[in-house]
Amino acid sequence: MNVLLAILLLLLMVYVCGMHGIKLFLSIIYNFLITIIAFYIMAFGVNAIAVSLLACFIISRIVLFHVNGENIKTKSSMKSILIVLLLLVFFILIITNLSRIAGFGYESFEEINMFSYDVGIDFTNLSTALIIIGLIGATIDSSIAISSALYEVKENNKHLNDKELFQSGMTIGKDILATTMNTLLFAFLGEFMTLLIYFKTGNYSFLEIINSKTFAEEFIKIIFSAIGCILVIPITAYITSKDLVKESKK
Amino acid sequence: MKYYKNKKIILIFLIIISIVAITFTLHNDFLYPKEIMKIEKIEEKDSYISRNTLGFPEKYSIKKIEGTIMNGKNKGVTKSLEYEESYSSVVTDKYRVGDKVFLESNSIDGLKRDTYIVFLVSILVILLYLVGKYRGLLTTFNVFLNTMIFYCSLDLYLKGMNLLLICILESLLFTSISLWIASGSNKKTLSAICSTLTSSLLLLLMTIITIKITNYQGMNFNEMSFLTVPFEDVFIAELFIGSLGAIMDVSITCSSAIGELIEKDKNITKLALKKSGKEIGKDIMGTMINVLFFTYLCSGLPLFILAIRNGYGLFQYIFNNFSLELTRFLVGSIGIVATIPISLLITIKIFKGGKKS
Repeated sequence: MNVLLAILLLLLMVYVCGMHGIKLFLSIIYNFLITIIAFYIMAFGVNAIAVSLLACFIISRIVLFHVNGENIKTKSSMKSILIVLLLLVFFILIITNLSRIAGFGYESFEEINMFSYDVGIDFTNLSTALIIIGLIGATIDSSIAISSALYEVKENNKHLNDKELFQSGMTIGKDILATTMNTLLFAFLGEFMTLLIYFKTGNYSFLEIINSKTFAEEFIKIIFSAIGCILVIPITAYITSKDLVKESKK
Repeated sequence: MKYYKNKKIILIFLIIISIVAITFTLHNDFLYPKEIMKIEKIEEKDSYISRNTLGFPEKYSIKKIEGTIMNGKNKGVTKSLEYEESYSSVVTDKYRVGDKVFLESNSIDGLKRDTYIVFLVSILVILLYLVGKYRGLLTTFNVFLNTMIFYCSLDLYLKGMNLLLICILESLLFTSISLWIASGSNKKTLSAICSTLTSSLLLLLMTIITIKITNYQGMNFNEMSFLTVPFEDVFIAELFIGSLGAIMDVSITCSSAIGELIEKDKNITKLALKKSGKEIGKDIMGTMINVLFFTYLCSGLPLFILAIRNGYGLFQYIFNNFSLELTRFLVGSIGIVATIPISLLITIKIFKGGKKS
């Protein structure tokens, strides 16, 4: 079934944007391979957080430089994404450690009971890695939206200084904020529906739901995706406006 | 200047609400019917190493945990119990002194996590306000409203209503509320709503046809096995809701861009509009697809590690267990790509009407 869907996706991509569609489809395959390889390396017991950061670095390079080309826009985005990742990594680590969302909640026991739990890998680090990889997509999306829009603004208004550029970056940021939040919200709701139906058929109360590990895991993951894509807006606006002004002075 | 002052007041207000909410979760033990224990002492009594069939060592330690009951009729009573924790914490948790845990028939039944949830929500709301100002507040309101509608409408399903029908009705509400909040009441919003609904219904039709053709071949519903209701039906509804947000995003981007172009040049031809529309679509498509890709795919990580460490082969695992996440991603992406031409068509129709140009 997935093969059929993948073929459909490829055809649609080629129909909508021609050769560029093939390039995009290839980048999805690269991303898939990198994610799987990263997961595989983690399974060998290498520190999951380090692996996930490295994977995010490679993924950002592919998405930015391979698909959109290496230029001042993508370079500024790259810098901003790295800053956001470094800022968030510690925060995520603290939260996953405190909220004990590592591993599986009671709801998944049936799914995993065919496995032995003696695996000798710290699942707290894995949760952190999962959140980092989960937020990279949304973060890249907002970052590139801001930097390309700012580039256009600068092209059309050469006289703008970095402060004015930063301001218009923030205005653009406000526009994309609402819609990206929507994308994340509904992706979360779609995934969460199984769990919610389970909770409701089992007569769980609202308080029981928010304290359960399975809910907390998904919820914290999506909150961090949202935080990543919000944080990257001012950072990208700042870095891109500085870079653009520097570039024009050369 | 006055506006600037208002902004500060709202910010302070948000921070105060957050602090109050977090403090409340620290002292809300009385709300829970289950007994809550605050851990005061942890002693390691014994530890042993167990190995699975592949020989991976796993350290288990048996701990004696002492604490005070915080609520209910045994409030204030000191209790001590034994708890076995593992290094990996696949199914156990590592508790520390100061944690509050739920008790069920004298054993620990999970951590009290509401403080962390409320804390993160507060951070998100404050950040949304700092970056988005007034729009950020509206976004928060929108997210809250949609989640509430979603949460409550599932009751109808449990009362026997068809899930897909509920989701289609919900999508009408979600789309109109979110898009209206995101861009106000104007032609752009109207065309974005029309194209979102058309695209998502077409996508639903496509999903159902694909499912009918392939009859879920190669799909593994292990992940949803805990449901007591038919999970194939739930899955279709999930695919529909899951792609709705992305479709809205694409629709509003396309329709505002087209609206902008028409405003700048009233005499622009339909052909030129289509061409620039496709150009814009091309730009947003790639990164939008990535958002879905990573949001969905990372969920499979813990199970992946567990399976590989249990001797599963890489490919065997991917084909067996990633199928649901992949389907979610593929359907969402098809939605994103298909929405671009659909929303261009509808937006141009609405803006230019039947006028020949």
